[in-house]
Amino acid sequence: MQAMDQCFRGMNGVTPLVNSMSHAPAKPAVHMGLPLPNSKLGMWLFLGTEIMFFTAFIGTYIVLYFGSVGPDGKTAWPTDPHVTHINVLAGGVNTFVLLASSYFVVVAHEAMVAKNFKRAWNFLLYTLLLACLFLGIKAYEYSGKFSHGILPGQIPENDMQAVRMFGDDLQSIVDRNLDSLISPGNTQELKRGDSPLVTGDEPLHVKATMVTEVMSATEDDWLLGQLQAWQALNTEFNGLRSDISANRLTVADVQEKLAKMHEHPEYGPMVSHLHLAKVIPFGNLFASTYFLMTGFHAIHVIVGMILFVAVLKQGTRLDERSTDWVENSGLYWHFVDLVWIFLFPLLYIIPGNI
Amino acid sequence: MADDHAHAHPHVNYFGVFIALCVCTALSVIFDVVKPTPALLVFLVLAVACAKATFVMTYFMHLKFEGAWKFIILFPTAILAVGLMVALAPDMAMHYYDNDAAQAKTRDTLSADHAAGHGDHATDHEAAQAGSEEHGQDEHATDKHKAGH
Repeated sequence: MQAMDQCFRGMNGVTPLVNSMSHAPAKPAVHMGLPLPNSKLGMWLFLGTEIMFFTAFIGTYIVLYFGSVGPDGKTAWPTDPHVTHINVLAGGVNTFVLLASSYFVVVAHEAMVAKNFKRAWNFLLYTLLLACLFLGIKAYEYSGKFSHGILPGQIPENDMQAVRMFGDDLQSIVDRNLDSLISPGNTQELKRGDSPLVTGDEPLHVKATMVTEVMSATEDDWLLGQLQAWQALNTEFNGLRSDISANRLTVADVQEKLAKMHEHPEYGPMVSHLHLAKVIPFGNLFASTYFLMTGFHAIHVIVGMILFVAVLKQGTRLDERSTDWVENSGLYWHFVDLVWIFLFPLLYIIPGNI
Repeated sequence: MADDHAHAHPHVNYFGVFIALCVCTALSVIFDVVKPTPALLVFLVLAVACAKATFVMTYFMHLKFEGAWKFIILFPTAILAVGLMVALAPDMAMHYYDNDAAQAKTRDTLSADHAAGHGDHATDHEAAQAGSEEHGQDEHATDKHKAGH
């Protein structure tokens, strides 16, 4: 490793010699193009495209915000923090985290220019750690939304959709329980002739017809009890299903039925996780735009972290050859900060006030 | 090359800029807590965001010390970015049509075939028929509702 280092130094040492031996005059040759390094020009051109990239998202968000009107003709965008689970404090802390990381990048570059590489390395490490902290807080915010079902395409936007979603959830609970109860593991002692009664390959509608047969054949009290519970749940579900399909149930009806189902002595435990999703008009658009903007921003944070790791892994070998790299990844990082400076008020503070 | 342009930057009190940015962030959160009139709040937090963006671009991104090339690169993208917003504006501020989004209604009028969409169960056919009758009534109800306005 040291030999390679010396080799590089040697090459560096040779370069001025070559220059002085060339026939060019002391004045450098005419420089074509803009008076800045190609790498920096490339980074700025890239940042120009990035400005348009994020402006497109923000512009789309603003149009959707004002275009999503309720019965009164005014925007009905979901803004209540108890509904959207937008956490102003988390967003504010994350703003501070990114600003601090931007500060450390700029002083890291300053240290690189001053050839204080140890100091620069430390500052870049702080930047990387703050980037990790930012993503950690972001992940905490995301998980809060996931746990409340705030996901694009998963949110009922009116009462009927909520009731239908409840019916679908109940159906999958009924199906899942049937599938796991009528399984070779539970019914291994039951035979039809020499072959097992249940092979596990039966489709669900066949399994449904096998329930009474298994119940009469089994001596397993637990399985019998579970199948009885399943039958009761299936009967309840079949009653609800026709009401739901016919659009006869209101949200209040379902809430009442759900409370009774949770307390049911037999199948209550099977439906313990079943709930009626909260109706959020325009909740899916909200979730799409929120995750699109913050998600793409988070991807940019991850890319920035890769740029910093590429410098940090040089460790004590860090030298002036990385100065341009630090400057350009710093420019990129400040842009990531810049985007968040606008996303914070637009997503966390302004909604609900306009 | 690195040395050539690095020396061009005069010393900046980066920590001072950082403190100014933190104060701006705190101001945004304070405005949100104090809640002046909604329009004023929106104006203030956007003004603060613009101030922060200016600080970052001027000092952290060294634009203050760069040559005129910065305008050549940033001006066209700024035009296109603002142009996109202006181009989208008619759809948010000037629409000529009545907004008839399903989300604005409490009880949606889904088509009858959607009710039959659950497929594999024997009772679904019956349910679908019952559903279509129900939908018919619903549509009447909605029409009356509209007429009332």
